[in-house]
Amino acid sequence: MQLRLFTFSFVIVVSFLAAAQTTSAQALDISSGGLPTITGAVSGSVTGSGNVRNDLVVTINFGEVSPLNTNSIVKVVVPIALRSNQPYQVSVTMSGLSNANAQAVQASDVGFGVQNLQLLGGAGKVCTQSTHIVQAPFNNDPAFSTSIGANGRVQYASSLGNLSGSTVILTGPQLSKNNNNNRQGSDGWTFDAIFTLTPQFFAPGVSSATLIFTISAGPNVPC
Amino acid sequence: MPLYSITPVRLSLLIILLAVGAVSCLGQSTTGTVTMSATVSKFVEINSGGAVTLTGNSGGGVTTDGVANSPLAVSINLGELGPSNTNSFVTAQVPLKLRSNAAYVLSMVATVTSSGTTASRIGAADVGFGLGTISRTGLGVNAGADTNATSGDPTLAANGSVNGTTGRYEFTAVRSNLSAFSSSTTALSGPIIMNAVPRSNANGLTVPAFFAVKPQFFENGTTTISVTFTVTAP
Repeated sequence: MQLRLFTFSFVIVVSFLAAAQTTSAQALDISSGGLPTITGAVSGSVTGSGNVRNDLVVTINFGEVSPLNTNSIVKVVVPIALRSNQPYQVSVTMSGLSNANAQAVQASDVGFGVQNLQLLGGAGKVCTQSTHIVQAPFNNDPAFSTSIGANGRVQYASSLGNLSGSTVILTGPQLSKNNNNNRQGSDGWTFDAIFTLTPQFFAPGVSSATLIFTISAGPNVPC
Repeated sequence: MPLYSITPVRLSLLIILLAVGAVSCLGQSTTGTVTMSATVSKFVEINSGGAVTLTGNSGGGVTTDGVANSPLAVSINLGELGPSNTNSFVTAQVPLKLRSNAAYVLSMVATVTSSGTTASRIGAADVGFGLGTISRTGLGVNAGADTNATSGDPTLAANGSVNGTTGRYEFTAVRSNLSAFSSSTTALSGPIIMNAVPRSNANGLTVPAFFAVKPQFFENGTTTISVTFTVTAP
């Protein structure tokens, strides 16, 4: 009877481990890439982990973005780490920020760009046959891509207004040398997600949005 | 039997717990979250709309002139206001510029002090006041209908006349002289002025504030007129 129970349990454990290996084997991972920063804010803040082994959970408060904020722009830089043992892609989905008043803050008022793609450490994989590609139009620092639109409003080379559904912003080959199931501090790549908001005569109110960054299997490119 | 003997059942349970623990500690995720928020508070401001225009004066002049888009801090010497000034009115036109991201109210309070001691000294009622044509033009300025609580240019014939009993010239129209502004009183109000444009956009609502005195046989002396404009977003 006891032997039968042991055998039954052993089978369950083996099955569980096999399933876990299938779903979690260092295939694709996204995490914090370092401490996020904010500049130009009045009563604003950004919180997130500076540890690249921690999950990507960042909260940005741009603060006051009416003309009461006399800074030219509020800029937030969010480092994000990526790991994979296969080609990948990073996509972003956005919810919120759908103000009915056209003079209130809109998605297009929040600049969004991707910059500074770089090795996280020695265990990051450098592929020679394929490159990492920031998808258009996001390959810019929105703090340096501002212009005035025909209506007098500040516009960016890329913004949250360019997100539609799940939007791919980055693709590339394998990111990690090893095949470690555990997050390491040096086994991938990082990039900066940059968000900007220029203080303007927006209609009064509080606006909010949530972005979900997802890493998934990307186009099958060689390493 | 020992108290903590490891039976096959217990061993199996331990293995299961370890396996579950190991999987949950893999620490990998395919998603990350960035939440963001921003606040826009009501904002209003009043600045100079440009240089002051002084007409009909005898002596005097603009001591501190207005500079467009700079804080409003104008000082004017109206000059001689006795009968030796033969002009019909001494008029100062002070351009104002208002900007807001919300409905606004422009209020004003005025004090008039004179060295004279008799009823013939210059008083608040002897200083005509009114707001002129309101302009909402330029890129980024929101169209809207404003309410002028004054009667406009106080020197208009419709806004004043000689009192048939006393012979003194009086500004008689609604809120056409400074006696109507001895306490903070609304002079102008309206809807949001600016669309969503940056502060560097220099456009806004402009309106001239007229101050006028008709030279008369006032009591000798000097008079100081102090006017404070305040714009709010109720």
